[in-house]
Amino acid sequence: MEGVRRALAVLSLLVLAVSLVSPLQPAETRARFERLKQAVSGDARFRADRASFWFDPDYAAFLDDVKRRTPESATVAMIVPERPDLYRYQAVYRLAPRRVVEERWKGEADAVATYFTEKTRGPGGIAITGGELWTR
Amino acid sequence: MTAPLPAALFAVLVALAAATVAGAILIRPWTAGLTKRERLAWGLAAGLLLQAACLLVLLAVHARPSAWKILLLEAVAVTAAWLAGGKRTAPAPTAVGERGSRILLAILASIAAAAWLVFLFGALADSMWATDFLAFWGYKGKVIFLTGEIPQRLFQDPALYFAHREYPLLVPFTFAALATFLGQWNDQAMALLDPICALATLLAISGFLARRASPLSGAVAAALAALCVFLYRPANAGTAEVPFALGLVLASSSAVDFLEREAASSLGRLALASLFCAALKQEGSLFVLLLAAALLLRTRRWRPVAALALPVAAHWVFLYLLRGNQTRRDFDFTLLTPARWPELSHRFGSVVGRILGTEGAQALVPILAIAVYFGVTRRGIADPLLPVFAAQLLFYAVAFTVSSFDPMYAIDGAVRRITMSLFPAFTLVLGARLPTVSAGAARIPRRPAPETARS
Repeated sequence: MEGVRRALAVLSLLVLAVSLVSPLQPAETRARFERLKQAVSGDARFRADRASFWFDPDYAAFLDDVKRRTPESATVAMIVPERPDLYRYQAVYRLAPRRVVEERWKGEADAVATYFTEKTRGPGGIAITGGELWTR
Repeated sequence: MTAPLPAALFAVLVALAAATVAGAILIRPWTAGLTKRERLAWGLAAGLLLQAACLLVLLAVHARPSAWKILLLEAVAVTAAWLAGGKRTAPAPTAVGERGSRILLAILASIAAAAWLVFLFGALADSMWATDFLAFWGYKGKVIFLTGEIPQRLFQDPALYFAHREYPLLVPFTFAALATFLGQWNDQAMALLDPICALATLLAISGFLARRASPLSGAVAAALAALCVFLYRPANAGTAEVPFALGLVLASSSAVDFLEREAASSLGRLALASLFCAALKQEGSLFVLLLAAALLLRTRRWRPVAALALPVAAHWVFLYLLRGNQTRRDFDFTLLTPARWPELSHRFGSVVGRILGTEGAQALVPILAIAVYFGVTRRGIADPLLPVFAAQLLFYAVAFTVSSFDPMYAIDGAVRRITMSLFPAFTLVLGARLPTVSAGAARIPRRPAPETARS
């Protein structure tokens, strides 16, 4: 009886372990390992933000351009797609410590940046990577 | 200009190692008799709190933080503690169970190490990009690091309505401190924080169970925790989940030690774990308060309640002074008023149905495996934690019920993540039951206690 109990205990733990590890995707893991090798070796093809801009790889360059053209003390209104919400969160995070606001607060902004949208704040904007930028 | 990754990783490692050493020395009187693995884990938790405190001191006196200033303050704190010569308290309780074959222990350690390496490589390769990291944990840390202050707009700006102003700040402070060591904001190198916390969690589990149950129990539990891919995955890097899992393991293990022996060292560890949990997540405060209630019911003593509740209260006061009162926009507490009780009960039913129907159904196989395991094993030393885990899950269901937003959306997005944070602490229960199916289980000798505070 003790032997059966012991076998069942081991078996249940094995099932639990396999269930826990089942979401692991070997192909993704291998790809990550390759990316890390590139990063460690200083390979020019490596981009640290590749995973974080999965929803729109071009958006990173747009944010970089806004960052270059606005001072850290600025309030920047970002007119970007609402879905996924990563557009907003990436802007807030990447442009920090600038104050990043949505369109409804654009009256408080020193600059307004639009990304692939027809919405404009009027004439006078300059073309930047993937969009336009208006500054006061 | 971004530093090469190996150099940046080295700087982060130095910061975390310095914090761990300082933390371990600072709390030495409370960790007497623990295994080396446990002392490392406790050292990291204490060190992260100390590092954040040093950063806060520098910000408070308007001194631009730097690595050397933080190291100096850590050294001052450690020296002061050393000179104060904290009285060493009674060694922690110990039991000597089945060791298990060396080969089996090596296989289990290899499994845990391999799973941990997968998490390490994944976190570093992907950097940190979880929504929670971008919107609040990382964002707040980045603003604090780049401005050299804690701007009030983080807590008052209506444009940051999504940034959870009410959340605790240990994770942002830690990122800001690590960036200070780096001299730049490098979210790829700082992703090392989570694998290091994961490693500390595995060490804490295996060390605790090796001391209190058996080395085999520790190895099995640590391997199970390491295999929890849904918690230890790159997408969770930069969130509070992984450090929080460490806090839960530390709080749980110190509670189990307290039940065995009511020593001052156990109380000290309970207090430290409580502060660590509360400073990481709101759920951390909930967990330690539930733990306090469980200890009160079992021991009829108020000292563990004070040890667990006072740090939560002190942390709340600190945050109140720092940023004022913050509303919890996530919750609609009017649902708790009697007029809305019918609606509340309906919502609660829907929430429980959704959790069981989606996540519960998907997790049916592991739940059944755990049920079988409980059926064939006997009570272990960590079983008193079970009601705490159950109550925590119940409160999660209640929290979803009073959500201001669509509870179903919140369940689908968060329930598995927050539940999985509990899993490493739950492996303490699983591991502690393992000796009960071993040959001679009832005859595990217990080292006699040199000092017992219970009178």
